[in-house]
Amino acid sequence: MLMRIRTVTMLGLALITVAACSGSTATTASNYKLTLIQGVAGDPFYVTMACGAQAEATKEGVTLNITGGNKWDATVQKPVIDSVTAAKPDGVMVAPDDSKALLAPLKAMSDAGIKVTFVDTQLDDTSFAVSSIATDNSGGGTLAAQTLATLIGDKGSVLVVNVDPGISTTDARVQGFNDEMKKHPNITVLDVQYTHDDPTAATTITTSILAAHPDLAGVFATNVQNAEGVATGLKQANNTVVKTIAFDAGPKQIEDLNAGIVQGLIAQDPYGIGVAGVQQTVLALKGQATTKTIQTSLAALTKDNVNNADMQKYLYKATCS
Amino acid sequence: MTAVQPTRGQSIRSAVAVRLSPVVARWNAFAQTRGGSVVARMFSTNAAWILLLLAFLMLLFNYLAPGKFLTEFNVRTMATNVSVLLVIAVGETFVMATGGIDLSVGYVLLFSGVTSAQVMNWGGRDSTNYGWDIVLLGFIVALGSGFAWGVLNGLIVAKAKVPALIATLGTLGMSWGLAEILSNGQDLRYLPSIMGDMGASRIIDKIPLVVIVAAIVAVIGSIILSLTRFGRYTLAIGSNQEAARRAGINVDRHLIKVYAMSGTLAGFAAFMNLAIFTTTTISGHANDNLQAIAAVVIGGTSLVGGVATIAGTTIGICIPMVLFSGFTILGLQSFWRDVAVGAVLILAVYTDQLRRRRRERH
Repeated sequence: MLMRIRTVTMLGLALITVAACSGSTATTASNYKLTLIQGVAGDPFYVTMACGAQAEATKEGVTLNITGGNKWDATVQKPVIDSVTAAKPDGVMVAPDDSKALLAPLKAMSDAGIKVTFVDTQLDDTSFAVSSIATDNSGGGTLAAQTLATLIGDKGSVLVVNVDPGISTTDARVQGFNDEMKKHPNITVLDVQYTHDDPTAATTITTSILAAHPDLAGVFATNVQNAEGVATGLKQANNTVVKTIAFDAGPKQIEDLNAGIVQGLIAQDPYGIGVAGVQQTVLALKGQATTKTIQTSLAALTKDNVNNADMQKYLYKATCS
Repeated sequence: MTAVQPTRGQSIRSAVAVRLSPVVARWNAFAQTRGGSVVARMFSTNAAWILLLLAFLMLLFNYLAPGKFLTEFNVRTMATNVSVLLVIAVGETFVMATGGIDLSVGYVLLFSGVTSAQVMNWGGRDSTNYGWDIVLLGFIVALGSGFAWGVLNGLIVAKAKVPALIATLGTLGMSWGLAEILSNGQDLRYLPSIMGDMGASRIIDKIPLVVIVAAIVAVIGSIILSLTRFGRYTLAIGSNQEAARRAGINVDRHLIKVYAMSGTLAGFAAFMNLAIFTTTTISGHANDNLQAIAAVVIGGTSLVGGVATIAGTTIGICIPMVLFSGFTILGLQSFWRDVAVGAVLILAVYTDQLRRRRRERH
């Protein structure tokens, strides 16, 4: 079956442009020190984002440090943020693990004179940020719903496997998915299941839901960890009927896509987010105008198009080289 | 018959002993003096050694990152970031002093935070503008929830005779699951804003309120453990439960009290956590229990009970945070932090064992 490829192109790349300091100081080739705080260290999405940020930092001649907690957890990320503030870099690109709990430490960072840019996730209050750069997550959810509906012949039960509530990106994906599914009357969307970013939990949920809902036709996994867990669950159940669409395109997902374990991947552009993050932060440091909100593009990857040249930039990397 | 030749190891050891004997003699003489005996006694405890390690680490990081590590800002945030864990670890110290263990603290904290937050915005109303009366109610609910789990732990351990490791592993799962059921997996995000103000407030513009509160809890815990009958009973049970029983201590009753105290402190920490993060942080706290246990052990508390100090636990809480912050400021890859903390844990227990063995030999 030939899949229709839809690419949500740069949705309003420049929504609001904010003119920073009018009388900008002369910009010498200053050696700015930047830090990227990843949402969770070691995740291919954030590794790829770091690769993009590093490439751009080298290009612009600025120093980049990369750090992050080893778990998606605001209580783990808070001391990381505090320590980075203590290290006094000139600018920070950060993917906050919670949209509310990390307001105080990030506000303190901004108050300390450090330029703060949100990459991927953001806070409820973005007023003090140089820029917020993220995937159009709601659009990604819509794209996932459309792709999945086509895959399952527009009928049956579908399950959404999400990380945790309160994460702006994944919440928006589910929102976009559910809104689109309302237009498909023959598809029943089951209650959202949460996994705490734990692949094992995603596996258990998948096998349990299969037992409870034999008419299960499709699964939408909202991030990498969940997609890996769902794939394992389907493998354990020996189920080849259920179509799975997953967010993100890490090395394991591409393998799964090629092996037919997952039928569709909604890929973000973390490399592009990393590049834009450094660009916006450096612009702010130079006293130039920044773009307050940037939404990067998405693509629906299938077995048929994954090897196309124009799709390669959407594949996430485990290492930079 | 030939004389028994000393082995190589023995001869090296005796050579070192000869070389060191003046130092040892001088140390012994110093230890006889009044001030000296205090110092000597101090260095026979783990707390003094790990305090030295803590000071060394802080100076090292400050040397490697001058003007960044030992700044008012960093010391303040490090202190804030250990305050919740310290309160949990004080309770854990009492439990481990009895030779027990409480694995449930992190999720009892989570459960207490959820019930407290739910009571504060009863009926799903936006409670952002609520006053002190509602905050006080939330505080009581947090303490009560923690207390209830603590009593349950105590009953299972003392009365049902289920080993503490299993009993509290069971309540860990139960409190986690129930917290998720009550909250439907959703973080409660609308707490009275005066709570957040309280979590961010500082005394004389310098010291965060939560740090002072945690310090007061630690001081009171230390007084109870070292100066009161409750503390003596706790250590006696850990030392030899049967002897304590024959000496007339109601061991079961005391154990229930100790676990109840640990649970209540977890509830107290839950309230502090709500004030700091202004939300229930449902995705967190998975490792709070192991962090607390590591701190207690680094602080010199014996895993089999009978020996414990709150001062040691306090330093034991600070060392991982200093490593965490130092490594982050230096820009080292984040996973090294866990490696370093793990190594310190083993080193601390190893040196403690060495000193114990040496003491037994004398």
